[in-house]
Amino acid sequence: MEELYEILEEMQPEIDFHKETALIDDHLLDSLTVLSLISELEDAFDITIPAVEIIPQNFNSAEAMWELIQRLADE
Amino acid sequence: MFSISSYFSVEYLLMLLPACVFCYLILPKTARRFSLLLFSWAFFWAVSGKLIVYLLVSIVLVYVFGLWLGSLLEKQKQALASCEKGKKKAIRARFQKKMLWVVVPGVLLHIGILLIVKYTPFFADNLNSLLRILHIPAAVKPLSLAAPIGISFYTLQAASYLIDVYHQKIPADRNILRIALYMSFFPQIMEGPICRYTDTASTLWEAPRIRWENFIRGSERILYGLMKKTVGADRLNLLIKNVFDGYAANGGYTAYDGFVIALAALCYTIQLYMDFSGTMDVVIGTGEIFGILMPENFKRPFFSRTISEFWTRWHITLGTWFKDYLFYPISMSKPMKRLTSRARKRFGNHYGPLFSGGIALLCVWFCNGLWHGSGWHYIVFGLYHFVLILTGSLILPLSIRLAEKLHISRDHWLYHFLQIFRTFVLVCFGELIFRAKSLGEAAGMLKKIGTAFTFASLKDGSLFTFGMNQKDYLILFVLLGLILVISLLQERGVKIREAIAGKGLVIHYLAIWALILFIIIFGAYGQGYLPVNPIYAEF
Repeated sequence: MEELYEILEEMQPEIDFHKETALIDDHLLDSLTVLSLISELEDAFDITIPAVEIIPQNFNSAEAMWELIQRLADE
Repeated sequence: MFSISSYFSVEYLLMLLPACVFCYLILPKTARRFSLLLFSWAFFWAVSGKLIVYLLVSIVLVYVFGLWLGSLLEKQKQALASCEKGKKKAIRARFQKKMLWVVVPGVLLHIGILLIVKYTPFFADNLNSLLRILHIPAAVKPLSLAAPIGISFYTLQAASYLIDVYHQKIPADRNILRIALYMSFFPQIMEGPICRYTDTASTLWEAPRIRWENFIRGSERILYGLMKKTVGADRLNLLIKNVFDGYAANGGYTAYDGFVIALAALCYTIQLYMDFSGTMDVVIGTGEIFGILMPENFKRPFFSRTISEFWTRWHITLGTWFKDYLFYPISMSKPMKRLTSRARKRFGNHYGPLFSGGIALLCVWFCNGLWHGSGWHYIVFGLYHFVLILTGSLILPLSIRLAEKLHISRDHWLYHFLQIFRTFVLVCFGELIFRAKSLGEAAGMLKKIGTAFTFASLKDGSLFTFGMNQKDYLILFVLLGLILVISLLQERGVKIREAIAGKGLVIHYLAIWALILFIIIFGAYGQGYLPVNPIYAEF
C-alpha cells in the first residue's frame, strides 16, 4: 500500500490520497492521468489492467486501487 | 393523425403524459410495465410513424445477440468448472475469442444501420466530389432514407448493453420485454440521456407505484425545463435564425457585422443549453414522476474552467459513453499500452500518455462530431474540441510554471473567473461552427467577427430589429439571472426543490404557481415568435 501512495503522490503531489474518496467522480484525475497511472501500476505491481476495469469504483480512492491491484495480482 | 413534435408540445405535456400517468395509476402492478411499454411505442409512433420498425428490429437484435453471448458465457462457466487448474487461462481465451465474434457483429449491425440511415447522403456526396476531382465520369446516387427519431441515442444504448454483457458487467437478459422497455422508454428515446442497462432496466420493469411527492418533484422539474425552453430558447430563436439562416436574397449572415454575428453565436450557445438542458429537465422530471431515476446530462457546464471539464458537465452521458466504449478500449489496447509505457519513460508522466491518449482522443472527437450530424462542420466541431483539449494538456505544465514565476495564485477566484470566461468564449466559437449551415459559412462568420467588429448596430438601435427587441433582452437577462442564482446555489450543494419544500406548504405551492405564471407571462409563444425545434432530436 505504501508503494501505491508513493506512486500516487509522485504523480499528483497536490492531492491528498489518504483522504480523497472521489478522485474520478470529482474529476481530480482526468483520463490522461489515469492512463499514466495505469501504466505505472502495471509496471510496479506486474499486473495487467484491462479497459473494462477502468470504472470510477476502482479508481476513486487509493484503497479502491489497492483492492483492484490485489485482485488482479491474484488472478 | 395524432402526432408529437417535442416534449414541450401540448400533445405530450397535456395528452400523452397525463394519459400514461392515469393508466399507470389505475392499473395493477404487473400491468404497469406493459402500459409504459405501450405508451412508449405510441409515443414513437406519434413522432416517427412506421419507422418504429427500426426500433423493433434493434430490440430483437439486442435480445438475440445478448442471449447468444449469455449462452457462450454459460458454456465457458461449465468448461471452467470441469477443467484442470492449468487449463483455465486457455479456456477463457478460447471463449473470449468466440464471444468477440458475436459482440463485434452485434454492435456493428447497429452502427451499420445508423450509418446507412443517417449518413448515406453525406458519404455519397463526398464520394461524388472525389470522383469529380479525379475526373472519373461516374456518380453514386445517394439513398434517401428517413431516419427514425432517437436512432443516434438508442443505438448507443443497444451497443452499451451488448458490450456490458460481453464484459460480464451484466447478465444477458432473457426477458425481451424488459429489454424493449429499456430501449424504448418514451421520455428518453428522443434526446437521451443515454442510459446504461443498470441505470433503468430493473426499475422500469419493477414499475414502482406513483407517489405524491415524486409526482410533485417531477412536475417541478418539468416546469423548470419548460421555463428554460419557452422563456429562453424560443425567445432567442428569431435573432439566431435571422443571422444563421438569413435569406440569401438579404445576403444571409453577410448582412450583419461581426458584433451581431458574435452575439448570435453567444445567443445560440445559450439557446442550445436552454433547449437541451430544458428537455433533460422534462425527461428526468417525467422519469421522477414514475419513480425512475435517470442519469443527469448537465451539471452547470458554464462554470467549467477548462474545455476538458466542460465535457464532463455538458451532455455527460454521451461523454461517458465515448470514454468507456471508445477512449479506454483504444488507449488500453496492447500496442497503445506499449506506446504509453515507452513514452512515459522518455517524456515523463505528463507528456508520456499524451501519445496514446491523443490517438484515442482523436478517434473520440471525430466520432463525437460525426455523431452530431452528417456534415463536415460537425466533424470540424469535434476536431476543434480535440485540439483544445490536447493543447490544454500540452501547455498545462508551462502555465503552472508561468503562474509560479509571476507569483499568480492559481487558486485565486479571479484566476478561476478568467479560466471560466476563456472556456465560455471557446465554447461559443465551437457552437458557431456547429450551428453554421456549412464549413464555408462558419469560416465566413469567424472572418467577419475578426475583421468587421463594430458596435454600430447597438449605437443606432438597429440591433433591436434583428428579431429581439429591448423587452426580449430584458426578459432574457432576468431569466439568466434567475438560472445563475439557482446554478450557484446548486454548485454549493443546495438542493433547491428540497429547500423550497422545507419552507412549508404555502411557500412551496406559491413558488410553483409563481413559476407557472412566469412561464405564461414571459414565455415566447404566439404571434411573432417561432418555437425552436428540438435541437438534439435531430442528431
